[in-house]
Amino acid sequence: MSILSVSRLTKQFGTFTAVDDLSFSLKESEILGLLGPNGAGKTTTIQMLLGVLTPTLGAIRYFGKDFAQHREEVLEDVNFSSTYTHLPWGLTVRENLRFISFLYDIDDRPGRIAKIISLFRLEELMNHPLIELSAGQLTRVNLAKAFINFPRVLLLDEPTASLDPEAAKYIREFLLNERSQFNVSIILTSHNMAEVEEVCDRVIFIDHGKMIADDTPAQLARSVETCHVELLIKEGMERAVRYVTERGNAYKTEGKHIIVDVKERDIPGFLRGLMDRGITYDEISIEKPTLEDYFLVVTRTTEANPH
Amino acid sequence: MKIHRVWGMTLRYIYAFRHNIDKMADAFYWPTIDILLWGLTSTYLTASNPEGGPTAFFVVLSGILLWLIVWRGQGEITMNALEEFWERNLINLFASPLMFREWMASLLALGFVKAMMSFAFAVTLAWFLYAVNLFHLGFLLIPFGLLLIMTGWWFGFLVMGLILRFGRKVQALAWTSIFVISPFSAAYYPLSTLPEWAQAIGKCIPITYVFEGSREVIATGHIDPWKLIISFVLNIVYLTAAGWFLHRSFEKLRERGLEKIN
Repeated sequence: MSILSVSRLTKQFGTFTAVDDLSFSLKESEILGLLGPNGAGKTTTIQMLLGVLTPTLGAIRYFGKDFAQHREEVLEDVNFSSTYTHLPWGLTVRENLRFISFLYDIDDRPGRIAKIISLFRLEELMNHPLIELSAGQLTRVNLAKAFINFPRVLLLDEPTASLDPEAAKYIREFLLNERSQFNVSIILTSHNMAEVEEVCDRVIFIDHGKMIADDTPAQLARSVETCHVELLIKEGMERAVRYVTERGNAYKTEGKHIIVDVKERDIPGFLRGLMDRGITYDEISIEKPTLEDYFLVVTRTTEANPH
Repeated sequence: MKIHRVWGMTLRYIYAFRHNIDKMADAFYWPTIDILLWGLTSTYLTASNPEGGPTAFFVVLSGILLWLIVWRGQGEITMNALEEFWERNLINLFASPLMFREWMASLLALGFVKAMMSFAFAVTLAWFLYAVNLFHLGFLLIPFGLLLIMTGWWFGFLVMGLILRFGRKVQALAWTSIFVISPFSAAYYPLSTLPEWAQAIGKCIPITYVFEGSREVIATGHIDPWKLIISFVLNIVYLTAAGWFLHRSFEKLRERGLEKIN
């Protein structure tokens, strides 16, 4: 079932088109990654999905209802967290969560706040004003705020930015758990491609406001044909460098290691060529393309041909 | 309109008030300074010109006390709204089910309570320091108070609408602009003191009728009810127009994006 459907969404600021004819949908309990380089239109899209920016064209439907017509009702079941917005600095964590809880129709507000505090490990910070918190602690407070109304749809803009690896892992596991327990649907932006591969069922890639791709992280990674072949050269490093240069492969060297970008289907021929030239190696590892490779390839391509 | 959301926003500003010394200053410090300064000035003037008598002293101090209601009513709207812009909190608020009118309702309710709080404090102080009892105005204080705060509200709406349209470069209007109407509204002297062109402006300001009426009550014990009616009608017209302008300004800002106020 489609929880959110976006149809021909467009946002223009004067003559600049920030989001251009974007259409996609989000299924129940799906985690959708919204990826793209800086300025691609991700945040603009999220702001339109939250109703804090009016689209120039297009329609947004949540739970089968037109968002523009049912804003108040829809937002009872939607929430967001962004590294780039702040709750009031002067208020304590408890005060912020308390006043925010009154903006939603929640049955047991004190109970919900207590639960959220424990889930996000905020017990010791409750009576501290936000201005005293570190960036990572603020991110946890923002996430706590995002879960306060038992959202059915969550929009997360860089949810783990500024968290240490342990806290980021905890949050990723928490998101996956919320999804499986409560069927929460999530749209997530992140520059951490490993995180996107780990948690997202599907990825939409946008650039210059347009959708470039819509697929699973694995499929997108697979669309990049180039593998990274790393060799520990025993003998013939100079010849190896000459060889890859002649072949036109991208490469880099680190001591006795050479890492060469080779298309998957060309790897046998590449290795045979090394043997023919008497280049020997002790170790070899072949790294398949990742979502990050896809990201880099696509952004390089669109930078070269912006339209 | 959901009461729990209005209460949520009211709570947000009560918490901010508790933590913020500037807000305490607005509520208590400035009224104290006004009462001391103008009370002592009036005492001196009365002593040096006894013909003016205690009535003149009472007129000036009642003008100061009643003006407080307008000033605090407007200030609560614009300063609390500005705080949301400064703290970049508008997205948090309007990505929730909060309606614009609920936000406004919380600002109006809080403005009313805090204006009354400052007023009560200043009236008590004036009574304590100078034995001036504003409750001599009797039940008329209720319509006077309502008409004064209504002017504070529509003026606050107008200023906030301008800030939403033109951004923080005009934010100084929040704490300065209300004083523009002060000389025309004849708060401390009769309207007839002003030149004719200024009197014409004064007659378009609803609180002019309140200040004129309060002096009439002090002098004669009675008030022409038309003064209250004209003041009320003008307030309603301006409140409607300013409310519409503010809402349009907010929708215009939403077209640019709520984080784009700068």
